[in-house]
Amino acid sequence: MPPLMGIEFLCRVSDVLSDYLGGLNEDVIKDNFVIVYELLDEMIDNGFPLTTEPNILREMIAPPNIVSKVLSVVTGNSSNVSDTLPGATGSCIPWRAADPKYANNEVYVDLVEEMDAVINRDGALVKCEVYGEVRVNSHLSGLPDLTLSFANPSILDDVRFHPCVRFRPWESHQILSFVPPDGEFKLMSYRVKKLKSTPIYVKPQLSSDAGKCRVNVLVGIRNDHGKTIDSITLQFQLPPCILSADLTSNTGTVNILGNKTCSWSIGRIPKDKTPSLSGTLVLESELERLHVFPTFRVGFKIMGVALSGLQIDKLDLKTAPSRLYKGFRALTRAGEFEVRS
Amino acid sequence: MAPPAQSQRSQSPSQPSGKSEVSDLKLQLRQLAGSRAPGVDDSKRELFKKVISYMTIGIDVSSLFGEMVMCSATSDIVLKKMCYLYVGNYAKVNPDLALLTINFLQRDCHDEDPMIRGLALRSLCSLRVANLVEYLVGPLGSGLKDSNSYVRTVAVVGVLKLYHISASTCVDADFPSTLKHLMLNDPDTQIVANCLSALEEIWSAEASTSEEAAREREALISKPFIYYLLNRIKEFSEWAQCLVLELVTKYVPSDSSEIFDIMNLLEDRLQHANGAVVLATVKVFLQLTLSMTDVHQQVYERIKAPLLTLVSSGSPEQSYAVLSHLHLLVMRAPYVFSSDYKHFYCQYNEPSYVKRLKLEMLTAVANESNTYEIVTELCEYAANVDIPIARESIRAVGKIALQQYDVNAIVDRLLQFLEMEKDYVTAEALVLVKDLLRKYPQWSHDCIAVVGNISSKNVQEPKAKAALIWMLGEYSQDMQDAPYILESLVENWDEEHSAEVRLHLLTAVMKCFFKRPPETQSALGAALAAGIGDFHQDVHDRALFYYRILRYNVSVAERVVNPPKQAVSVFADTQSSEIKDRIFDEFNSLSVLYQKSSYMFTDKEHRGPLEFADELGNLSIGEAAHNVISSQRVEENDKDLLLTTAEKEETRGSSNNGSVYAVPYDSSTSVFASQTQIESAISNPTTAGHSQHASFGIDDLLGLGMPAVPDVASPPQLKLNTKAALDPNAFQQKWRQLPVALSQELSLSPQAVASLTVPQALLRHMQSHSIHCIASGGQSPNFKFFFFAQKYEEPSNYLVECIINTTSAKAQVKIKADDQRTSQAFSSLFELALSKFGTP
Repeated sequence: MPPLMGIEFLCRVSDVLSDYLGGLNEDVIKDNFVIVYELLDEMIDNGFPLTTEPNILREMIAPPNIVSKVLSVVTGNSSNVSDTLPGATGSCIPWRAADPKYANNEVYVDLVEEMDAVINRDGALVKCEVYGEVRVNSHLSGLPDLTLSFANPSILDDVRFHPCVRFRPWESHQILSFVPPDGEFKLMSYRVKKLKSTPIYVKPQLSSDAGKCRVNVLVGIRNDHGKTIDSITLQFQLPPCILSADLTSNTGTVNILGNKTCSWSIGRIPKDKTPSLSGTLVLESELERLHVFPTFRVGFKIMGVALSGLQIDKLDLKTAPSRLYKGFRALTRAGEFEVRS
Repeated sequence: MAPPAQSQRSQSPSQPSGKSEVSDLKLQLRQLAGSRAPGVDDSKRELFKKVISYMTIGIDVSSLFGEMVMCSATSDIVLKKMCYLYVGNYAKVNPDLALLTINFLQRDCHDEDPMIRGLALRSLCSLRVANLVEYLVGPLGSGLKDSNSYVRTVAVVGVLKLYHISASTCVDADFPSTLKHLMLNDPDTQIVANCLSALEEIWSAEASTSEEAAREREALISKPFIYYLLNRIKEFSEWAQCLVLELVTKYVPSDSSEIFDIMNLLEDRLQHANGAVVLATVKVFLQLTLSMTDVHQQVYERIKAPLLTLVSSGSPEQSYAVLSHLHLLVMRAPYVFSSDYKHFYCQYNEPSYVKRLKLEMLTAVANESNTYEIVTELCEYAANVDIPIARESIRAVGKIALQQYDVNAIVDRLLQFLEMEKDYVTAEALVLVKDLLRKYPQWSHDCIAVVGNISSKNVQEPKAKAALIWMLGEYSQDMQDAPYILESLVENWDEEHSAEVRLHLLTAVMKCFFKRPPETQSALGAALAAGIGDFHQDVHDRALFYYRILRYNVSVAERVVNPPKQAVSVFADTQSSEIKDRIFDEFNSLSVLYQKSSYMFTDKEHRGPLEFADELGNLSIGEAAHNVISSQRVEENDKDLLLTTAEKEETRGSSNNGSVYAVPYDSSTSVFASQTQIESAISNPTTAGHSQHASFGIDDLLGLGMPAVPDVASPPQLKLNTKAALDPNAFQQKWRQLPVALSQELSLSPQAVASLTVPQALLRHMQSHSIHCIASGGQSPNFKFFFFAQKYEEPSNYLVECIINTTSAKAQVKIKADDQRTSQAFSSLFELALSKFGTP
């Protein structure tokens, strides 16, 4: 059997379950096993995946919170299964439920990017890549036909689309033309490689002799995007040969967890000083010098900017309804952002 | 999905103990069964929930069957669903009780709500009780004609379930043709897809017994049908698309424009959000263009970006699966990914199974231009906290060093590892330095200087210790204190637990002795004494052998133990190219993940006729039907995994288009051949080619033992039929039946080896000597040929298997003959013909 079919399906099951149950763990499944059975029943039959579109499943099997609401209001014939079969099973747009109605027509487009980077001990960029997603949250009546275009689509290296995206317009003009599913979904994901710089720098210095290791880490903003960088964190695993560590910082808090993970949460970088972490590590008695150096994992969040530089040009709706609200947002997070020492 | 079977029930103290609760529930259910009071559904629902939850945690609630069925007379769908679940779970173990449910399920099958109709039908088909099938036919028939697509979808899968319970009932009711009609005409693509998967399964299973089914199965990959599916592919759900794409890979387009049409149509599937669709499309592209080399290369370029995206996005499991596929591709086309090596850099918190594959990828994509960067990166991992990965990365550095010509920088790095004072790093590096020296003896001076500084006390791992000892022996003339180190090692003989190390120590002391006799003499004596007294058989034998050969003649001993060595040019590959090709044919299946061809993990008994099948696979001859091991080659078909074993055999039986193949295996005549094959297959299934040499060795020994006088009865001159003809099937059959008459090793002239760059040349040459080739294969340096010849004006055949290794210029020949008496004469003819090969 195709391996990815299995993996993708399991991921989908877990997505749908956590969507329905608001989380996924053993207890939640135990509490809601009826819904889980019902969902699995619809999602797979005789080993072959059937309906996995969350929109359609939601029409067949109502999520639990609605059930309880319905139960409290109506007695007797209430159930968490809709009486009618979803129309979309027969329609040619399988991801969209038939004819939703909204008083306020809204559509939100979010660019969410994650930056993966590896920086070696000289501060040189070994690898830097952005993995981004275009998330759309649409609440539109009828069968809306949207087109979304970017100001600079040429920077994208590889793209993957939700099934609703028509391929030809993208191929010829790099325009996303689609009829969206209702609610929130991932319209497209993309990859941008060969980025030249990172928003922040981390300079670790480790020097070890005579059974000790001095650590000094500096963190700062490299080039200003005009947006504040939030929730900066730095984590690293202390090598197992370290007996004790004494680390202090001038900004933020430092915690050393039980599994020898050291985490330093900085938050925002203050204007007047450069955050630094310094201290000494005491090595095991027979060791003279440290041979294994930790890797620093950096986390940060920048609101309002997509670091890949991707920009949305415009979003159009054919047969626009009278009142339409369009919203755009961008966000960049650190993905696998590593600094070696 | 199914709750655990009752047998596995766990009754931990925290769980309800069962009995009393169950009888309590029984009582309550009884009260509710007849009641029609408002709100009764709610209380029923609570009770049902309890029952199901007991069932889920493994308490046997089957005693409630009757009550549950009584309560199921309701219009509430949730209640019904829970009831169906309950019934489905217990019907199999209580077939008699299941009969009770048939009635209400059948009634529900005519409910006005399509949802209930569908659910009831699904539950009905899921009962899987053989004596109830008669009740299934009616509801299924009407379900297939239902006006609602949901019910039809369920009914189609129901037909397949029915087929698995009782194939004859399903076929007698003519369901397959109904499904076919639906598949070609239904507007709902989900139904088309379900029909397709059901029919593929049914017809594959039926094809061995029914010609019509075989024909229908062929029709599935006919042009009109494939086009019908492809034109609608966008309407299919993503899972159904995978199914269709899998079918398309089996389709053979008539010309290149058709190939391009299909690829253009499917190109956007590479951008699909679902990785399974992307990978299935990649397989279609690769298979379609196999015959078109240029386009095949372009395909590699085209699929590169989507595959790399799949690696870096998504779950680690997905990365692992895709990386396995990339690894397969990179073996076939390393240069394609050589510029993207950065994608295979390991991230700190990736799981180690992903990291390991990435290291393999880095090794595979390394070439002259990127070696420096890759090795630098790998050296970073050597200091990794994750010790297994650190080891792997050092090994990867070594592998790259063995691949490359410019090893200067790499050797320096390895020597740095030796000085890192981490025992595992030193250990790995030692093993690598040993391998490097075997390939590049010119580096010995630099390496030995560093190796000499390593104290053998710091090296504990057997492999590393063995490597160090090997170097001490091999380069004892360059290392000042080699004899003394060895001596101290010999003194601690009893503390050395690994036989491998002791063996190496013996040999090293011997080598050292030949180079520096006075200093080593005492160590040698001690080593031999300790070795002869060793409890390990191999060590004991080797020590005894050394002792005797030394007593016999010291210079002979030196020639045996320490001959001048040639640098190793190529280290043996662990996987034969045949297996790699096979795995490639099974792209997008678990074979790639396991790095094994599917027959190796789907079919445990499949061992004996396997190699033979490999050789002649290209002739599409059916499989050996061994009388004991009824195993046959697994058709390269992913769905095999989904089928049960019994069906699998039928499937495979059908794979050769009804040709007569199932000849009973005559074990009495071919015990020897099959045994050696089995042995070699068992001892090392992945290197069948190599291990077979071993079995030939046995043949050789036996051959020597027999009188080498040619049979007097044989005619002095054997004439061969120049226009001999033999059907491949007949050949295979004979090969299986006949015992090995002769097996020998022939030497080839250098000219012959040179001419073998084109294997066809040998075929033509042999044909001019009336020896015809029926199958050939292999890649330099190993070629394999099957020849046959016929006696002039007599229907007597000679069959030859000939394995030629061009590096050693040797040919292993195995001859089988209808007429055993003339095999010697034929052998000399064959030898003569082969010896003339290459001479103008």
